[in-house]
Amino acid sequence: MTSVGSSVAPALLDERELAATLEREGYFADEGLCTAIHLALRLNRPLLLEGEPGVGKTEVASVLSRVVGRNLIRLQCFEGLDSGQALYEWDYPKQLLQVRVAESRGQEVGDLYREEFLLRRPLLRALESDHGAVLLIDEIDRADSEFEAFLLEFLGDFQITIPELGTVRARTPPIVVLTSNRTRELHDALKRRCLYHWIAFPEVDRERAILRAAVPGLEERAAEGLVRAVQRVRGLPLLKRPGIAESVEWARGATALAEGGSPWPVALRRALGLLIKDEEDTRLLLGHAEELFGDA
Amino acid sequence: MPEPIALAAGHLWGFLSALRAAGVTTALPKQADLLRVIDASPPRDLTALYWYARITLLHDVGELGAFDRVFDAWFRQGGLQDVVPPPASESDVPSPQGPGEDDPAPQDVLPGDGTRASALSTYGSRDFGPDDERRRSVMRDLEAAWPAVLPWAPSRRRRPARSGDRLDMRHIWRRAHRHDGEIVELRRRARPPRPRRLLILVDVSGSLRQHTPDLLRLAHTALRAAPARTEVFTFGTRLTRITPALSHPHLDRALRAVSGKVTDADGGTAIGAALQEFLSVPRFTALARGALVIVLSDGLERGDHEPMVRATARLSRLGHRLVWWSPLACSPTYSPVTRAMAAQLPSLDHLGGVRDLPTGLAEVRRLPAVLSGPRRAAARRRPTPRPTGVPS
Repeated sequence: MTSVGSSVAPALLDERELAATLEREGYFADEGLCTAIHLALRLNRPLLLEGEPGVGKTEVASVLSRVVGRNLIRLQCFEGLDSGQALYEWDYPKQLLQVRVAESRGQEVGDLYREEFLLRRPLLRALESDHGAVLLIDEIDRADSEFEAFLLEFLGDFQITIPELGTVRARTPPIVVLTSNRTRELHDALKRRCLYHWIAFPEVDRERAILRAAVPGLEERAAEGLVRAVQRVRGLPLLKRPGIAESVEWARGATALAEGGSPWPVALRRALGLLIKDEEDTRLLLGHAEELFGDA
Repeated sequence: MPEPIALAAGHLWGFLSALRAAGVTTALPKQADLLRVIDASPPRDLTALYWYARITLLHDVGELGAFDRVFDAWFRQGGLQDVVPPPASESDVPSPQGPGEDDPAPQDVLPGDGTRASALSTYGSRDFGPDDERRRSVMRDLEAAWPAVLPWAPSRRRRPARSGDRLDMRHIWRRAHRHDGEIVELRRRARPPRPRRLLILVDVSGSLRQHTPDLLRLAHTALRAAPARTEVFTFGTRLTRITPALSHPHLDRALRAVSGKVTDADGGTAIGAALQEFLSVPRFTALARGALVIVLSDGLERGDHEPMVRATARLSRLGHRLVWWSPLACSPTYSPVTRAMAAQLPSLDHLGGVRDLPTGLAEVRRLPAVLSGPRRAAARRRPTPRPTGVPS
């Protein structure tokens, strides 16, 4: 093993140790998420995470890969994603060249469906990874439902069948994290193979901890007001409620402005574009500005 | 000591069957998962057990409320058996502000305004009456007209095609292999056209009472013509997805199913609130994205029209085209001068008059012109409103 050998065997961590370990990596998970990760490692099941955009679903996979010391392999889903882009593809130009070369030298062509002609796409790479990998299948709801069918064999048994080669099984089963923004209903067959966790917006204390870790220059009192403002903003009927990513950006922006000499409440208001990315929402927010940022 | 273990096991089985009874679907492999994790690492306390159960059994956040109720009843309050199943809700994303369900349900307090008093239930064969045959023939025409007018977009997934922008290496290679590596002909892949979605939102409030049956028949023809890509919702004071109910190929049965589902027919209008409700569910907005959106409504909004105008604008941004069909617009003297209609006109691609099936057919036939024309052209197509018609 390489330097990753120093890490802990992931399945042996219990929820609390897991929470502490994640925290050291800068990810503040609540008990539910820690239990979900713990169970996913323990049962060796894919973990399906749902939640509003910006609550840190994708981040779970990358922090997990650091904690368990495995490579992160990411498959970003999009409409029209097919097996050639996700599982494997044959390298046709290379095969064709091989035939021509063999012909010009007067040799036997031989088997053209060998491993050397196989282009490995993320899912296959995750199976063949020596020490196991952390596989992130991001925004599965963006792929069409045909693609979910491709995934079933993979998620159920951690294997892929390549007609010309046979079945490829995982040497070390990968840790699989799927995320979804819930823009469409996933198939039951897919959900049945996964553990499921809905990540809610963080409560006040957790969000403050996240901000303090992510924005070093942020003062204690400012963080307090900022978190309170974000929590209240989430209570408004907005088109897009700000996630943690946005509140961190907001804190960073406001801190930078405050260091440049703006008074804190003014800095907060001027950096609002980092929290709210919709013109309509901004207007709604400015209507409530006094109650939201009055005491910030 | 087998006894406490047997007791615990019994309690757990009771919990699982109570979950099923409350409508939370738990597949057998998931139940096995729960038992396996309890066996592998016994939960420290009740909270841990809660998370174990929730993560292994639940697979849809929409069922979280029911799950929590059953869990509380079985483990926190000591085995109450009478778990009330939650009402089936159309928009099953919980409001993330807190546990309180904020479904507006002003209808609940009004007795007798349900399906029995609904205009939807007053037609059947009786209402078809003498012009039954004529109506049926218009509906046949509509069914034939829809597929030709619905918009298409290039698909994201390439397929083998006669001509295309990419080489189809797989096919070229397979054919070359047959000819000892000699490339005899090139094959190509292209993005074949894929039908866009059609989203129909039908106003069923009281002001449209006389038109509602025909508007629903119109929606039914669209569903018959393009079943895989059509979605139909009704709205009055609340939003109802009626696609499954209206999908029955037999018209009368479909309409009867719809009248069983729509509980707010002939009531008040809250177009703005209903559209906002539609837009607040990500799964529904996904239906509107890139779709041809048709709203069948008179646009008579009582009270503040601001939410309706904002919702229409967002709908227009989401969809491919936004078409508004109003029974009022059938009149040649009509001009959209009510404050709500005037304010939202700039968001519309077309404002047409539909009050029954023949006018519907005429408007359906005008769709290709709307689809090929510029966006948000409704204001340009209509004559400018005369100032004399401005209501107070």
